Amino acid sequence: MMLDGKTALVTGGRGGIGRAIVSRFLREGARVYAADLTPQGSLAAHDNDGSVFVKLDVTQEADAIAAMEQVGAAAGQLDILVNAAGIEIEKTIEETSLEEWNLSFAVNVTGTFLTSKHALPLMRKAAADGTSASIINFGSYDGFIADPGLAAYCATKGAVHALTKAMACDHGPEGIRVNAICPGYVDTPMLQSFFTGDGSGAGGKTIDQLQQAVRDVHPMRTYGTPEDIANLVNWLASDEARYASGQLWVLDGGLSAQVQQMKL
Amino acid sequence: MRLAGKKALVTGGRQGIGRGIVEAFVREGAVVTTCGRGPRPEGLSDNITWYPLDVTDAIAVGELAEMTGGTDILVNNAGVQVEKTVADSTDADWEAVIGTNCRGVFNLCRAYIPRMPEGGSIINIGSISGKVADPSMALYNASKAFVHGLTRSIAVDHGPGIRCNAICPGWIETGMLDAGFDLASDPAAARKDALTRHAVRRFGRPEDIASMAVWLASDEAAFATGQLFTVDGGMTAASPLNPGLF
Repeated sequence: MMLDGKTALVTGGRGGIGRAIVSRFLREGARVYAADLTPQGSLAAHDNDGSVFVKLDVTQEADAIAAMEQVGAAAGQLDILVNAAGIEIEKTIEETSLEEWNLSFAVNVTGTFLTSKHALPLMRKAAADGTSASIINFGSYDGFIADPGLAAYCATKGAVHALTKAMACDHGPEGIRVNAICPGYVDTPMLQSFFTGDGSGAGGKTIDQLQQAVRDVHPMRTYGTPEDIANLVNWLASDEARYASGQLWVLDGGLSAQVQQMKL
Repeated sequence: MRLAGKKALVTGGRQGIGRGIVEAFVREGAVVTTCGRGPRPEGLSDNITWYPLDVTDAIAVGELAEMTGGTDILVNNAGVQVEKTVADSTDADWEAVIGTNCRGVFNLCRAYIPRMPEGGSIINIGSISGKVADPSMALYNASKAFVHGLTRSIAVDHGPGIRCNAICPGWIETGMLDAGFDLASDPAAARKDALTRHAVRRFGRPEDIASMAVWLASDEAAFATGQLFTVDGGMTAASPLNPGLF
């Protein structure tokens, strides 16, 4: 058990990737707080997995403060923070309203900022015994290269990448490691929404054809599962990763290792 | 004229990107020597010196460096590609690709650096393929990553007197590009598909790379060193996913 005795909080902890992380952390022996807007998050149902649900809207500072008070009162410290809450607006900048732009930044960037800011005192306590505490942010391969029609999303993820390095610089001396995971295509409600749009598929393709086409572009010929992401989050959260900080960890089945795949 | 009074050597100036750089340098007032395997190419203007050279031959490279002392600008453009995976590549493929693209660049840099005046500029032609992989181009991709690493080392070791940068071209309209499309089952369709993946909706031209080379060679670029400058019409800014999917 890689996380025995550790306390973790996962934002977006009831969503696709977040739920897989919560479940993995529990299996590794951690005490886990799953923070989200609702107990079922973006999935259809709530499963009682043994985590403690914390109601948290990451855009609200009062929520972040209250969540950390709850964790502090019960556990006294926080070893692991995963900032997995995120939203994706599927539009170009011209189509994106100021409200949508601000919401993208509020959740993906400000949320990471607020939750991390108010977690720091509890994380310093966790690091006081000489074992580093670990913050894991969610960037994206879209923070490096763009998918069409995802302008605000790409911009927020680029911001998370830079914030990750800044936080690693500032809080490394306090024993807090900060890394970002940069997923490619992962099978989640967010990805399904990206595929379906209005539910009719795209370019005359059925959803199944579209998904197969996307798989085929990957060197691994598949897209990822939430468990694939949780595997790396688990390692970054564990003491095995004690020298890993300030890095952006791309996990995308080789997608971004290639030049664009021309149909030759 | 941004390169007036400067002396330049450009390897591989017979055709394509190298020829484009040679012509742009001359327009900007540089005195240009170029080289390649074989005789002087047709149509090369009289004010350009041609020197038959195999860049893999270190002795010949040393002799050229002696003869062209005082060269301010070195452009390592000569390169070859072999379209194979690692499993298919032969020893001869290794000699050809690594010999020209790696040893050749090393030979030229080693010979010219000690003879280069203050303010000299070395420009290596890297590739987007040295950063992200083109399929079935294993040795070529790796050789360009070598060029990128060597570029940084030279910048670090030989600054401030010498600047060293690399240009990473994307798909440029040259014989090499046509050779790639000719392999396709439907070359016209392949060309059309490739175009949709470029934000500027065209392939590059040798002059697109030459204009970057002129800037890097000029004193305007006095603070630019150790970097990779990608000129690819926006292709590698976009995801490798098929743009027709969404």
